[in-house]
Amino acid sequence: MGEIILEARDVRYRYPHGMEAIRGISFHVRRGEKVALVGPNGAGKSTLLLMFNGMLRPDSGVLLFDRQPIRYDGKSLRELRRRVGFVFQNPDRQIIAPTVYQDVAFGPTNLGLPDGQVRAAVDAALRNVGLTGFERRPPHQLSSGEKKRVAIAGVLAMDPDLLILDEPTSNLDPAGSEDIMELLEELKANGKTIFISTHDVELAYPWADRVILLRGGEILQEDSPDVAFGNTDLVRKARLSVPVLLDLHQELERRGLKLPEKRPRTVLDMVNAIEQVSRKGASSPLYGTIHVCNVDETGQEGLSGWLSRHDGISLGAMGTRAKQRASDEGLTLDFSYGVIDKCILKALNGRSSLILTVGGMVQQVERRVTAFQEESGAEIPVREVERT
Amino acid sequence: MDVLPMYEELLEDIAQKNGLREVNPHLKLAGALGAIFLCLLSQSYIAPLAIALLLSGGILLLARVDLRTVGELYVAPFSFALMSVSVIILLAGGGQPFWSWSPFPWLAFSITRGSINEGIFVLCRVAGGMSALIFLALTTPMTDLFIVMRRCRVPEEVLDLAMMIYRTIFMIMDQLVQAYQAQRMRLGYTSFRESVRSFSMLCGSVFIASWIAGEDLIRAMDARCYSGKFAMLGEIQPVEAKPLLAVIGFLLVSAVIVVLTGRITAI
Repeated sequence: MGEIILEARDVRYRYPHGMEAIRGISFHVRRGEKVALVGPNGAGKSTLLLMFNGMLRPDSGVLLFDRQPIRYDGKSLRELRRRVGFVFQNPDRQIIAPTVYQDVAFGPTNLGLPDGQVRAAVDAALRNVGLTGFERRPPHQLSSGEKKRVAIAGVLAMDPDLLILDEPTSNLDPAGSEDIMELLEELKANGKTIFISTHDVELAYPWADRVILLRGGEILQEDSPDVAFGNTDLVRKARLSVPVLLDLHQELERRGLKLPEKRPRTVLDMVNAIEQVSRKGASSPLYGTIHVCNVDETGQEGLSGWLSRHDGISLGAMGTRAKQRASDEGLTLDFSYGVIDKCILKALNGRSSLILTVGGMVQQVERRVTAFQEESGAEIPVREVERT
Repeated sequence: MDVLPMYEELLEDIAQKNGLREVNPHLKLAGALGAIFLCLLSQSYIAPLAIALLLSGGILLLARVDLRTVGELYVAPFSFALMSVSVIILLAGGGQPFWSWSPFPWLAFSITRGSINEGIFVLCRVAGGMSALIFLALTTPMTDLFIVMRRCRVPEEVLDLAMMIYRTIFMIMDQLVQAYQAQRMRLGYTSFRESVRSFSMLCGSVFIASWIAGEDLIRAMDARCYSGKFAMLGEIQPVEAKPLLAVIGFLLVSAVIVVLTGRITAI
């Protein structure tokens, strides 16, 4: 884990003529972490988030960014807001300009970058969120998911260290939500720290490294997701629900099933746990292979040739650029989110699969599979598709 | 009226995906403004009529906008023009009278050769000018025109304001439609009294909504390091040979018609 990037020390805030919205909150976020702030409506999530980039100033207590107390003069605030990117809940409220290009360029232009750098920043941000080619479109013609991506790109263009997203998946359909969560995963892989607020426990549970339960302006609990959500009393107090997988795990344990100690975060964890119980003593089965293809380094013939030699293989894509490539080549994806887990599930069932991805994500596949291997003992082969 | 008409959105949407979207906006603007200028310059009805036909042809065949949409757009200005023209025909004079009526000693209506010529001339001018404007509206989205405006040194403040208004219009439009539908669903416009009441409430709620949107806009700009600069504009399509020649050809042909037709009248 990295050093502390954001810290709150006994922060309090009262709205003018209103009740106290934040009642003495202390916590910290480390570089490279994915933290979810979870709480019911009116818990003070948005209020707290707005303090992180200096939009609201606490009445008492200190907020530290990069170990420096936040200062509230114009110049310091601008620097803070460049390094702490804030994505509003409603993208329509965040998108200002009449075209996608102009909107994403808004931040860099105001930072005083020369035209060439602005262009480069915008291009990179749009590529990151998978909206290359949308430059001249007006935002009101985009879908909710695309608008959300524009809003995220607008923040990414300033190259922040910490990304704060207020309810990133509200108003999105399930596929749109998964796309956004996948995008956040990708951004984390690129070294960003990500802090989201949500009341969707199913979303936060598998995604977050750490969960902060908030209720009535106070922190109820702060821990890894399986511990934080595992405390039924607290979860009920916070007007949330226990994630289905955790609930299932607890119910099975109550029925005397001896499941592994570690609580399942994903369907894969759960399947693995159940298989370990049911397969005890049986001979080890034959696993499928997970093939990984770096689309940046594989030409079209290479990929289509490979696919024709491996007919009927399951296909998944990780990352916006890989998905773009798949749709460009008219490939039908079997998985587009939670891809590694789904491919491991296939492999456990003796089936092979191919993951299309880019750059640094290739190692992520290997890391995840190795971690799974250490946990379950299942030796699943991972092979990189030969570059052409 | 079951659904609110949304011409602004409609026009802009058509412009965003019309067949001439990729043509340099300077060219389209030059074509349209040149056409209006020639319409005003011409002393005969023939040149404006030719311009109207050429540009309508361009809208239908090159921009590939469907006939129905274009027709609907022409209806409103033309009904106004027809009304004004009928008054001109009755009041203007000159030349051989075909019909006249004098209900009072101080008031006379007459239809003469001169008044008919004048009426046709005005109608054709309106047609030429309107088709130039409609051509511009249907082929060039606002977002492209902003770039042209900046190149033409329109003051930054005016332009920034125009761009913010453009962006906000669609959001407020959405709110308006939603509030209006909510009112209709609860039978808000069944009687005249009820309509007046509902309409005033609609205005009030949209006002408040735009106020809130304004405050949010300031917050959004602050959160994104606003320092007085609105984002610079993107690139525009380069001038290509074919459309350039087409615009020059169109303006030349129109100018030649203007010169050749001189003062030719309809009858």
